[in-house]
Amino acid sequence: MLPLSLLTAAQNKPMLVELKNGETLNGLLINCDNFMNITLREVYQTNPDGDRFWKLKECYIRGSTIKYLRVPDNLLDAVKDEQNRTRDANRSSRGGHTGPGRGAPRGGNFLHTI
Amino acid sequence: MLIFSVFKTLTDQTVTVELKNDLSITGVLKSVDQFLNIRLDNIKVADEGRHPHMMAVKNCFIRGSVVRYVQLPAEHVDTQLLEDATRRDAMNQVKR
Amino acid sequence: MSLQGYTDRRVLLVLQDGRAIVGVLVGFDQKSNIVLSDCKERVYSADEGVEEIPLGLYLVKGEMVCLIGEIDEAIDSSADLSTIRAEPIPPIRYG
Repeated sequence: MLPLSLLTAAQNKPMLVELKNGETLNGLLINCDNFMNITLREVYQTNPDGDRFWKLKECYIRGSTIKYLRVPDNLLDAVKDEQNRTRDANRSSRGGHTGPGRGAPRGGNFLHTI
Repeated sequence: MLIFSVFKTLTDQTVTVELKNDLSITGVLKSVDQFLNIRLDNIKVADEGRHPHMMAVKNCFIRGSVVRYVQLPAEHVDTQLLEDATRRDAMNQVKR
Repeated sequence: MSLQGYTDRRVLLVLQDGRAIVGVLVGFDQKSNIVLSDCKERVYSADEGVEEIPLGLYLVKGEMVCLIGEIDEAIDSSADLSTIRAEPIPPIRYG
């Protein structure tokens, strides 16, 4: 499971983002891109020392400033189910044995699917 | 690319990797990639008493960006060849 | 990539700030971005045993990764974390 796939699947879900400077932002993921730049909605921002708080309606976070993201535990199962359903749907629509196109990555360059 | 090639010739040799957090790990070089990320098997951490954190780890992946030094087995590196290749590489760089 | 052999295995992730996280490697990419499920942070101290803090599902940026070690389950389960005393791993210092 590619990290960016997991993130894209997490749209509209709540998450915690910790930045390299120690700030944390809790909010709902609106969007993300290949650089892991993200936009969050209904955000609770906390300073590195944990003693100052802000509420933001929306914010944009540059991917290069992110340390890590914590996402809901059930997201993994949800994404795997979704991937399985898509794969099964593709298989049945193409019917039986398929040609060289099967298993080709979804347009990634050197990223691979596990 | 040149140093990447040197590492590729050293797979299955024992090397010691010193990281920028001062950890030193000895192991068998299993693979290296274009970023000089390193895979080591059968690792031994120097000063294990101070670093029990990796007690249950027998092989690992080390991100190239955190490596300070890699100690290579001198008998497996042809320094003359490497020097010549470096000179050629440098000349090609100048030409471009 | 060299991380391929580790998927679906339990690994120790050492971060550049010295943190030690243990979890199941679910995914990674060429930038070493990592997805770890069911992860726990192991906090080491010179005075007390190792504290394990459950973290859940994490996506860690590749730039934060220092080292990923494959955990030998037999050795790990035989270790008594409460008896281990050690300083935390030092952070990576560039320079």
